Amino acid sequence: MVGMKNTNDMDNSYLNNDMSATGEIGSEITIENLSIQFPDKDGGAPVVALQNVNLEIKPGEFITLVGPSGCGKTTLLRTIADLQQPTTGSVNIRGKSPREIRKEKKFGIVFQNPVLYDWRTVRRNVCMPMELMGIPKKERTARVTKMLELVGLYDFGTKYPHELSGGMQQRVGIARALAIRPEILLMDEPFSALDEFTKEKLHVDLLRIWSKTKKTIIFVTHNISEAVLLSDRVVVLSPHPGRVSAIVDIDLERPRGLEIKDTDKFNALVSKVRNSFEGV
Amino acid sequence: MNKKKHRKITKDSVTSVLYPLLFGAVIVVLWQTQILHKILGTDTFVLPLPDRIFTIIGDNMGAIMENVKATVIVSLGGLILGSALGYLLGMIAMAFPKWGAGGLTVVSAFNAVPIIAIAPILNNLTKDFSEDANTRSMIAKTLVVTITCTVAMSINAFRGFTELKPFSLDLMKSYAANKATIFFKLRVPNSLPYVFTALRVSVPASIISALVSEYFAEYIIGVGRQIRENIVLAQYATAWAYIVVACAIGIVLYLILLFAEGILLKNRRPRWKSV
Repeated sequence: MVGMKNTNDMDNSYLNNDMSATGEIGSEITIENLSIQFPDKDGGAPVVALQNVNLEIKPGEFITLVGPSGCGKTTLLRTIADLQQPTTGSVNIRGKSPREIRKEKKFGIVFQNPVLYDWRTVRRNVCMPMELMGIPKKERTARVTKMLELVGLYDFGTKYPHELSGGMQQRVGIARALAIRPEILLMDEPFSALDEFTKEKLHVDLLRIWSKTKKTIIFVTHNISEAVLLSDRVVVLSPHPGRVSAIVDIDLERPRGLEIKDTDKFNALVSKVRNSFEGV
Repeated sequence: MNKKKHRKITKDSVTSVLYPLLFGAVIVVLWQTQILHKILGTDTFVLPLPDRIFTIIGDNMGAIMENVKATVIVSLGGLILGSALGYLLGMIAMAFPKWGAGGLTVVSAFNAVPIIAIAPILNNLTKDFSEDANTRSMIAKTLVVTITCTVAMSINAFRGFTELKPFSLDLMKSYAANKATIFFKLRVPNSLPYVFTALRVSVPASIISALVSEYFAEYIIGVGRQIRENIVLAQYATAWAYIVVACAIGIVLYLILLFAEGILLKNRRPRWKSV
């Protein structure tokens, strides 16, 4: 957590200008009657991962998909990212298919583990997607510097992944996802493997980054408190079959800090989300 | 922090370098004082004393180096050819995953065929390849080593291409990377530690198979062949000189491999360092 100091002290003002300078407009995702079935390996009836999901996501919204194991939340995220194909129904992202958006490299994805390449330094890991996009070296270098400052790891650019803690590695993953200036940031239980202290630190970081960059974030978690702390809306998914059982508006004021978790309103929202599950 | 690292290296050196050296020194002392001969119930004719062996090596350096050159060319030539072929087979198996893994199992069956069986067959198969007996023999011997080294590399390369960290393929796909980009940016660098795993097997195997294939070669040259020739002639001291040289070749090549691995895998996960 040594690197965090830099972030808090530094001037982040350029980020607003930087992000808006690209002329990005927010994203809008419409999911209609989405169902996904997986064939049963033993030849039995197909497993229904998601059934008849309908969801509208507003531009710049921080939305969380929350639910227990097997509720299809990761499947839903992967479908939006075009890493999984729907059986029936559709996902529409600003009039385009997920595949078109993926081909345009508009997704930034943060996975359950950091997925850093051992053979690349922190800087070169953050750089990797920009290399694939053919962004000129000078631009890449500038963006890597900004992103590492943003996640508080500027001093660790020349380190290799195995030299970093789990929390720092995950922050590199977030920097890499943001470096391509995605329109939609998809986060699949990014903090689930981290200890509670690191997790809380990253919650604060993520809220700060989101407020600076104004990305649409779709965040998957099984942690209700995490979902309430971060989101504008919590989509509650219930299992067997995976379906949306409720959508809870989180009308807590922003900017939010960890102290909000001690308020009655926060706890009431956590209870509301918890009581929305069906069949658990 | 540097001091701590330095102490750690020193402690490692004691266990990994000093102990084997001490053990070797004890054997040499027992050997030179003929205690070893008493234990094994042999004499200095069959097991000459170390000083005599080293005198022979010193006196015959020219002839020995000529044989060393022949052996090293065969083992390194076969190692490079076999490893390249193995890497290629690993790539093909990766490209066609449905039968790739099964195909490699068939390839690995080649490893079960003893070198002693392959060497005479290849001698026979290559007898028309060249007018020159030395060239013919070199080809046959190199082919034996190639076959030996192909299997280890093909299986390890396949694992290196396919045993990727969870989500690393998804990450590439999310950036719409094509197969070639995934191959060069992800699979090839991922395979590097596996290549060294294969080479740790292949480097000693290449020398052993070069030595054995020399036994059966038409043209009389190479360290392995000299061991055999001198034993046949009951020149045990000279045979032992070549045995020592054969060991030295193996140790030197293995050290070169470890050195290269130390440089190329320096920044990988610690598990690759500590192996």
